[in-house]
Amino acid sequence: MLGIGNFKAHSCGGVSRRAFLRAGTALPFAIPTAISALGTPATAVASSPLKGRAKSVIFVWLWGAPSHIDTLDPKPDAVGDVRGPFATIPTRTPGLHFTELLPRLADRSHLFTVVRSHVTFSGGHPDAGTWGLTGFDEKPTAKANFGSIVAKHRGTKGTLPPYAMVGRGVPRDVVRKVEGCGGGPLGSVYDPFLLGCDQAGQVEIPSLKLLDGLVPSRIHDRWALLETLDSVQRGFEADKSNWRQRHLQAYQLLTRPEARAALDLTSESPRTRSAYGQTSFGQSCLLARRLVEAHVPYVHVNWSEYVEAVTPNTDFGWDTHVLNFDLLPDRLCPIFDRAFTALLTDLQERGLLDSTLVVAIGEFGRTPKINRRASRDHWQRCYSSIWAGAGIEPGRVIGASDRNGEDPITQPITPLMVGTTITELAGLDTQARAELQVLDGGNVIHALIG
Amino acid sequence: MRVALGCVGVLGIWWSAVTLAAESRPLTTDGRFKDAPAFIDPAGHELAFVVQETPQWMRAMRLTLADGAVVALNPEWPKNEFEPAFSRDGTWMASVQSRGNLSMALVMRGFPQGREFELPPEGGFCGFRSPTFTPDGKHVYYSFADRDRQAIMAVNRQGGDKRTIIDGPGHANWPSFSPDGRQFAFGSTRHGNYEIYVAQPDGSEVRRLTEHPRQDIRPRFSPDGKRIVFTSGRDGNYEIYVMHADGSHPRRLTNNPERDDYACWHPDSRHIVYVSERDGRYDLYWLEVGDVSP
Repeated sequence: MLGIGNFKAHSCGGVSRRAFLRAGTALPFAIPTAISALGTPATAVASSPLKGRAKSVIFVWLWGAPSHIDTLDPKPDAVGDVRGPFATIPTRTPGLHFTELLPRLADRSHLFTVVRSHVTFSGGHPDAGTWGLTGFDEKPTAKANFGSIVAKHRGTKGTLPPYAMVGRGVPRDVVRKVEGCGGGPLGSVYDPFLLGCDQAGQVEIPSLKLLDGLVPSRIHDRWALLETLDSVQRGFEADKSNWRQRHLQAYQLLTRPEARAALDLTSESPRTRSAYGQTSFGQSCLLARRLVEAHVPYVHVNWSEYVEAVTPNTDFGWDTHVLNFDLLPDRLCPIFDRAFTALLTDLQERGLLDSTLVVAIGEFGRTPKINRRASRDHWQRCYSSIWAGAGIEPGRVIGASDRNGEDPITQPITPLMVGTTITELAGLDTQARAELQVLDGGNVIHALIG
Repeated sequence: MRVALGCVGVLGIWWSAVTLAAESRPLTTDGRFKDAPAFIDPAGHELAFVVQETPQWMRAMRLTLADGAVVALNPEWPKNEFEPAFSRDGTWMASVQSRGNLSMALVMRGFPQGREFELPPEGGFCGFRSPTFTPDGKHVYYSFADRDRQAIMAVNRQGGDKRTIIDGPGHANWPSFSPDGRQFAFGSTRHGNYEIYVAQPDGSEVRRLTEHPRQDIRPRFSPDGKRIVFTSGRDGNYEIYVMHADGSHPRRLTNNPERDDYACWHPDSRHIVYVSERDGRYDLYWLEVGDVSP
C-alpha cells in the first residue's frame, strides 16, 4: 500500500477513489522494464548532494492537463480506442519515442529527461492544481506554492521579485481560481508577482492595471509616478499593506533600469524572439529566460489562465474533453513544441542550463480510453513531465506506465516528490524545509539527478 | 513498361520543378496565430480566415485581396468563431461558434437577407468541425464527435434533415466536395492514422487516396475538380501537397522548415492560399500552383 494520503475524485473520466486505491495496491514498487532500464527506478532518499544546484527554477505549468498518451508517452501497440491517431517518432534518446506532434522536442531529447509515472490525488482542475503546485490538498487551507518556498528561502535580492508568475493571471477554470499559487502559511508576502506577456512580447504588470496607460516605456518621472500611486492607494485603504507591497514591487520594476531591462523583450535579437514563436506562451518562455538571467530564483510560466480549450472568454488551455485530436495538432502541441524546445536550447547555448532547473508538467493526464466525444477526459492516475538542467541527468526516461498508460508500473511520482525535488535543487535541504515547516514528508526523486 | 515509368518520372520532376519554382507571397504580415482561410465570393476577390484577435478570442476576418484590407467578418459576434465556409455562389456561410463551456454550435447564414439557422450544441461537451457546402449550396457537411468517434454528418442549410454520412471507426474530418457533387474527399483514421479518402455523397464507395504512416489531412478539391490539395507530415513537418483527384501524382508544393497548413483553392483552380509559419510568425501566403500536370 502506498502512502498517498486521502484524495477526492472529480474526474470526468469516472476515476473513483476506490479505483485508484486498487491500482495503488497492485503496483510493484519498482519493476524493472525496458524503458526504466534507460535510467534507474525512482528512489526516494532524504537529501541530495546536489542541493542548491539550481540558481533559478523555471516551472512551466501546462494548465488544463495535456494527454500523456498523445504527447510524451505514446502507446502505439494499444487498441484503437486508446492509441489515438498520431504516429510515433524516435527521439535522440535510444528507445524513447514521442508522438509526431513534438518533432522539435524529440530532436532535443538529449537536453532533458522524461518522467512517465506521475500520479496525483484529484481529478478536478483547481484542486489538482493545488496538489501540483504545493504537494498537498487545498483543504483545510492551501499550503505554500513551491515558488513561495524558494522565495522565502532565497529572500529578495535586488529589485526583482523572487517568485514571478508569467501569464495572464492566477490559473483557474471557469468556476474558480487555484488556491495553491500563493504563500499560504508563509504569508502573502510570498505570493507570486504577476507578469503578463502577449504574443507580440509586450510585458504587462497586472498589479498596475488601475493605473491606465502606465507601462515601463512611459515611466520617466518618479515623482509623478509616486503621486499617481498615492492617489490610487488612498482608494484601497482596506487592503493597504498588501496593496503597498505589490505596488512597491511594481514601482521598483518600473523605475530601476536593470529591472526594466529584464522585462524588455525588444532587446532580444529577432532570431531569438522568432525561435520561441510569436505566441503568448512563446514570448512568456523568453521572458522567463530573461528573468533567470536577472537572477530571479523562481519563475512560473503559465500555459494559459483558464484550463478550457474552447470556451468563450477563456484562453485555450489543455482541457480537451472535445476536439482533443484536432486541438493538439492544430494549436496546442505546435506552440508548446516550438517554445519549450527554444527555451531549453537557448538556456543551453547561453550556458544557463547547468544552473537552471526547468520543469514542464500539468495537473494530471487524460483518459487512455477515448471518450464519447472522441476525445479524452481527466486522468489522475498517470501522467508525464519533462525535467532539465541543474543536475538533472538528461537523455533518459524515469518511470514507466502500463500498456495503456493507465497506471505507473514503477514507483509513482507524487506532487509532493516533485516539489521536494525542485526545492532541494533550489537549495532547501531536509533541514531547511523542516525549519520552514514545508513539504513535510516529501522525498527527492533521486533517479532524476545524475 | 520501364520506359513508361521513366516518362512519368521525368514528367513528375518537371512538374514538381514548375510548381516549386513559383514563389509564395504574403497576404498578411501581422504574424498573429491564424488558420482556416476560405474564399468568400466566386470571383475570388475576398478571403475569410480566423485570427488570434486576443488571447481569449479567435475571430473570423475578411481580407480583400486587391488592397489587403482586413475587417471583421461578423462584427457583431463577440466570441470564438472557427472555420468559416461559403457556398460556391457566396450567398451562404457556415461556421462553428463557441457557445458555452467546451460546447459549440454550427451556424448557417444567408446573405444578404440575414437569414440565420443553427445546429445548437447538444448536452454536455460538444464539438462541431469543418463545415463545407455541397456544390448546390443546399446542404452542409461537417464533422461531429459522438459515440467514441468523429463522423461526417450532413444537414440542410436550415439545420434540418440531419444524416450520418461517414461513420466510424475512428475520426473523420474535413469534408470537401468535387464541383460536380459526385464525390467528396475527407480525412479519416479508419485505418489507424489520418489518410485521405473519397466517397459518394451518401457515404458509400469509400476509396482511399493516400497511404503514409504520417498524417495526411485537410483535403480540398480544386474548383475544377481535377486536383486535391492537402497537408501532410510525411517529410517531417507539415507541408502542402497536391495530387490528382484520383490520388495519383502526389507532389509537395511547399518546402519550409516550419509549418505550412490550411491550404484552400482560389476559384481559378491555379492558386492556393495557405497559412505558413515563418520565423515563428503565422501569415497567409498566396502560391501559384499552375496547371494540372498531364
